[in-house]
Amino acid sequence: MSEQTQQRRARRGRAVRWGVPIAAVAVVAGAVGAGPVIAAVQGDPVLPERTAEQLLADALQATKSGPTPMSGTVLQTASLGVPGLPEVSSGMGGTSPAALLTGSHELKVWYGGDERLRLAMPGRMSETDLIVNGDQAWLWESDSSTATRIKDTGEAAGHASGKGPGHESGHESGHPEALPTAATPQQIAKEVLQRADADTAVGVSSSEKVAGRDAYQLTLAPKDASSLVKEVKLALDGETFVPLRVQVYAKSAAEPAFEVGFTSVSFTPPAPENFTFTPPPGAKVKEQSLDELAKGLGADPQARQEKGGKIAEGMRTVGKGWTAVAVLPFSAQDLKGLAPQGQTGEEAGSPEAQAVTDALLKSATPVSGPWGSGKVVRTKLVSALLTDDGRLLFGAVTPEKLTEVAGR
Amino acid sequence: MSTVDVTGVTAEAGPAPVPDAAPGLREDTPASRRPGAARAWLRLLGSEAGLTFRRPRNLAVLAVLGIIPVLIGVVMRLFAEPIAAEAADGPGNGGAIFAQITGNGLFLTFAALSVLVQLMLPVAVAVVAGDAVAGEAGGGTLRYLLTAPAGRTRLLAAKYGNAVLFCLAAVSVIALSALVTGLALFPIGPITLLSGTTISFAEGLLRIGLVVLYVTAGMAALAAFALALSTLTEVAIGAIAATVVTVIVIQVLGVIPQLAWLQPYLLTQWWNEFDGVLRDPVAAGEMGQGLLVFAAYVVIFGSIAWARFTGKDITS
Repeated sequence: MSEQTQQRRARRGRAVRWGVPIAAVAVVAGAVGAGPVIAAVQGDPVLPERTAEQLLADALQATKSGPTPMSGTVLQTASLGVPGLPEVSSGMGGTSPAALLTGSHELKVWYGGDERLRLAMPGRMSETDLIVNGDQAWLWESDSSTATRIKDTGEAAGHASGKGPGHESGHESGHPEALPTAATPQQIAKEVLQRADADTAVGVSSSEKVAGRDAYQLTLAPKDASSLVKEVKLALDGETFVPLRVQVYAKSAAEPAFEVGFTSVSFTPPAPENFTFTPPPGAKVKEQSLDELAKGLGADPQARQEKGGKIAEGMRTVGKGWTAVAVLPFSAQDLKGLAPQGQTGEEAGSPEAQAVTDALLKSATPVSGPWGSGKVVRTKLVSALLTDDGRLLFGAVTPEKLTEVAGR
Repeated sequence: MSTVDVTGVTAEAGPAPVPDAAPGLREDTPASRRPGAARAWLRLLGSEAGLTFRRPRNLAVLAVLGIIPVLIGVVMRLFAEPIAAEAADGPGNGGAIFAQITGNGLFLTFAALSVLVQLMLPVAVAVVAGDAVAGEAGGGTLRYLLTAPAGRTRLLAAKYGNAVLFCLAAVSVIALSALVTGLALFPIGPITLLSGTTISFAEGLLRIGLVVLYVTAGMAALAAFALALSTLTEVAIGAIAATVVTVIVIQVLGVIPQLAWLQPYLLTQWWNEFDGVLRDPVAAGEMGQGLLVFAAYVVIFGSIAWARFTGKDITS
């Protein structure tokens, strides 16, 4: 065998060898990409077709018989485009509820029926748990090793679920203003849809897959062009009609601005141990009412704003449905006055709140018109206009709509 | 997954026995795969391990790893109150775990591992795995190793097996040292998990065992990466430094919020997931996913190391 042939063979052998790592990379990439692909392949509608009305009626029927015991992992992703939200702190796995406003966050949920609920927010080497069992509710924070017993638990359960899947889903709940008095779910569904029809385009698809389960998806799109919301998608489990995912799409982006949904879900009743909580030895045990607790957790600037009750008193809304605009008396001094309030006490989020306020003011663009002048802040889903004559207008609408309302 | 694997390997097995130009490039022929092959490999692994664990440099690395938990424990014992208060002030950065040590000695193990897994442990693994092939090549001993009829694949497998053994030893040294220090300096008893549930001391020990295995798997993934780098160079320190630098770069990437979508693919992000053991119920889903990520790293970089090493001209 000539030397040349040998060299050629060696080279070919080497080339073939490198096929193995390439194949390995392909296999791994395939495994990573396989999830969506499989979901797409199996995406043929296996669920019977339902109209929006039937779907809503079935869902209401299911709610009446009480939610099904379940457990799962909820992933919440927010990309609201709020200028200056300190994202880095959340990157470190902070467990502050305010951190939920930005980035991706994971929540574990166990629901056992009969007012038994556990929510766990894992952080790095830490965990925050909320355990509701009948008339008992505990908040456990491993960071400070504090167990807080929450008084007034009836509301606590509602508050808890508000932090979970229902968070920021005000767009749906905003619609059935004062639920009609109709008796059967079918009637309620019909009436709700009739009301919604005035300003909302409703669509249903039966081929969704969420957390590996077949689901119906209800699409609600505002008809008014001045809304910043493109559509809201609500996925309901095909069997139990439990809401599995809520996505809010802004007009300015293809990715949802806000999304909360299950990444894994199981409808087998979770183990009862999940709902029992005894403060561990050595832990600080406190007892707090819900209000005090909200103050402690209130790194959320919105919550603080709400607490400024005297500001909210003068609030009124203009318009209704998707394009409702809230108008309240407010000035830049008020905004500055809010921030230092947070610096008292040991609230971890208060410097963040300050930073947010500063960044918001800095990012505001000045506008003026026949109605006067002011500053506009625009995020993906919400615009706010602070006029120089001391009014604050905000809503899920374009800045143009805000100035129009300001002129009225 | 397995189907592609199989085709990849069988396509490979065809041209492999072709006599090659470079010395020692011959692969294992079917005849060489006698029943004794496994025993021969174990003997090879044994001699590799003997060399590794007798080397003063590696022993020094293990000693340093073992001393750090003692240091943490002694410092916590002496200055417990101020540190605990300070740690509790910084929410979400894992500092609070230190506050728990004073309450329970077992927590020293978790605290020590959570600190060391960031950099010290990866450095130790890089020193051994990065040196595995490059060190022999640089010292001129690789040629002689390959004159033995062991085959390159088997030699590489022994080198990797040895690196994994070292990972296990390093993690175990930390865990044992922390355990002994914790038992000596702090009260022991039932431990409180991150979820607020209390488990017995014996179960705590079991969970430490799980943590050791999980972290070892994570380090084994890094060892595969270091081994692949090691086959690319004849300068051992180059492979070691490159591994360490990569770990640091990945960690920096991991905290940039704009790159959050990248995090599930980063090795270092999954090392920290061992805290899933401290939850109730154990976060088996996350940790299982972590193990899958580690396996993916081992497969990719292991095959790169293999392709490079078996096709390489050994000149030194």
